[in-house]
Amino acid sequence: MLFHPISILLLLLTFMVQEFIPGLEIAQFATLFLPAVFFFSASVAAPFSMMLVLAFITGFIWDARHLPGAVESLAGAADVFGTGADLELGAGSHPLPFGLSIVLFGMLGTLMQGIRPLFKRGRLELPVLMVGVATFLWLFSQYLIITFLRGSLQFPTGVWSKMITDSLLAMLASPLIFLLLYSLARLSSYEIKYEGLRYRFDGR
Amino acid sequence: MKKLNILALLVFVAGLVAVFTFDTATTRQIQARVMSLLSPFIHSSAAMEQAATDAVAPQVNPAELKRENDELRVQVERLRIIQQKHNQSIEEIAKLRQLIGFKQAAPFKMTAAKVIRRESSTWWNSLIIDKGSLDGIGTDSPVITSVGLVGKTSTLAPHMTKVILLTDEMCRVSAKVEGTLEQGILAGERAALEVRPELHLRFLSRNANINAGASVYSSGEGGVFPPGLLLGRVKRFENREISGEAIVEPAVDFSTLDYVFVIEMQAAESAPDAQAKSDTSPKP
Repeated sequence: MLFHPISILLLLLTFMVQEFIPGLEIAQFATLFLPAVFFFSASVAAPFSMMLVLAFITGFIWDARHLPGAVESLAGAADVFGTGADLELGAGSHPLPFGLSIVLFGMLGTLMQGIRPLFKRGRLELPVLMVGVATFLWLFSQYLIITFLRGSLQFPTGVWSKMITDSLLAMLASPLIFLLLYSLARLSSYEIKYEGLRYRFDGR
Repeated sequence: MKKLNILALLVFVAGLVAVFTFDTATTRQIQARVMSLLSPFIHSSAAMEQAATDAVAPQVNPAELKRENDELRVQVERLRIIQQKHNQSIEEIAKLRQLIGFKQAAPFKMTAAKVIRRESSTWWNSLIIDKGSLDGIGTDSPVITSVGLVGKTSTLAPHMTKVILLTDEMCRVSAKVEGTLEQGILAGERAALEVRPELHLRFLSRNANINAGASVYSSGEGGVFPPGLLLGRVKRFENREISGEAIVEPAVDFSTLDYVFVIEMQAAESAPDAQAKSDTSPKP
């Protein structure tokens, strides 16, 4: 079964390619989040257990690369920097907890598993739309958690324009990734089946 | 649900719990390692971006370059003279401070770094510079230009550092308004990822007499950012429910940053040692 290890390798490759994708200045530096888009696309093709592995890898590396550096415990900061250091070092303005992306990717991957029958039949309309929806939900839930941690509900126009542009870019790229996964499945003789979370009712 | 799926779910949850229990040092180590693993790609992408920019940039006239070079030479000579006078003044100040037993301020060490590129991330306002932990840079160190404060260092790789910009909500600076006794906390706006978003100077007195155009400087109260760094200029003042708030335009244009300086605050030394250090390293 070559499909799964190659999927993991491709996922790792997307993190390298991501470094070459520029941001759009006109849309708040919106960009194509290739690892996330690859994960959402692959979670339609992979079984549930493999989807969880991909979610873990994607979330872990994403947080390691993109979250701002964790703020050191402030207990001793006053001795080093002075009494106002807690404010300047960032107390009260938490970044997201490391590992949160793993949870978000796991949940959204489970959502994507629901459209496996369509993907198996070669229908790409809904999977492509769902990649956009999942990207939007991922960004939106991150933003809501930041808002919850820092207080004060703010939704500037820029936030919406960034999330929508990111989602549209994800939808644009996803057909290519789906086609890549189809080719990979064909080459590795992997059959995409829908059996992961099926409710088994035996008629009794 | 199949047994394999239940098992996979249990392993996933166990892994997740393990990740959530990482302490700050471990998290920083992981972030540094991932950044150093990806650093060749970050450097390559920056080089490609530079090559593309150079390819579309208009050709520069050699005569114009020569004229610019001559002007810069004159400017360098002028600055050398000013620096000599500045060093003499510093020596005099140090001697006078010794005479009156004034506590010597901690000296700074400045490291020049090239901006590699602006980051396109989800909700963070950051850029990457080409100096890292092996170049003597630490976390949460102020990053400045000749114009003013740019931000502070965050994740470190051996030869690369992520800088959280002043415009990010996570970068907060204790600040004062020029010509007044007003002090507050300056921070960026949430998810304001524009090139030059507004900053908010909060916790000022209500009805404070602050005029548009007044300069805002770091007050140095927190110790993380040294005092006297220009942060921006007041655009307007607004009264909130409990306190006043000034809307500030950042001094630095974050879209045109090429080189920045990272300030490392060093432990306070005895006066003669500190004096010797100040002769070799420039002060902001």
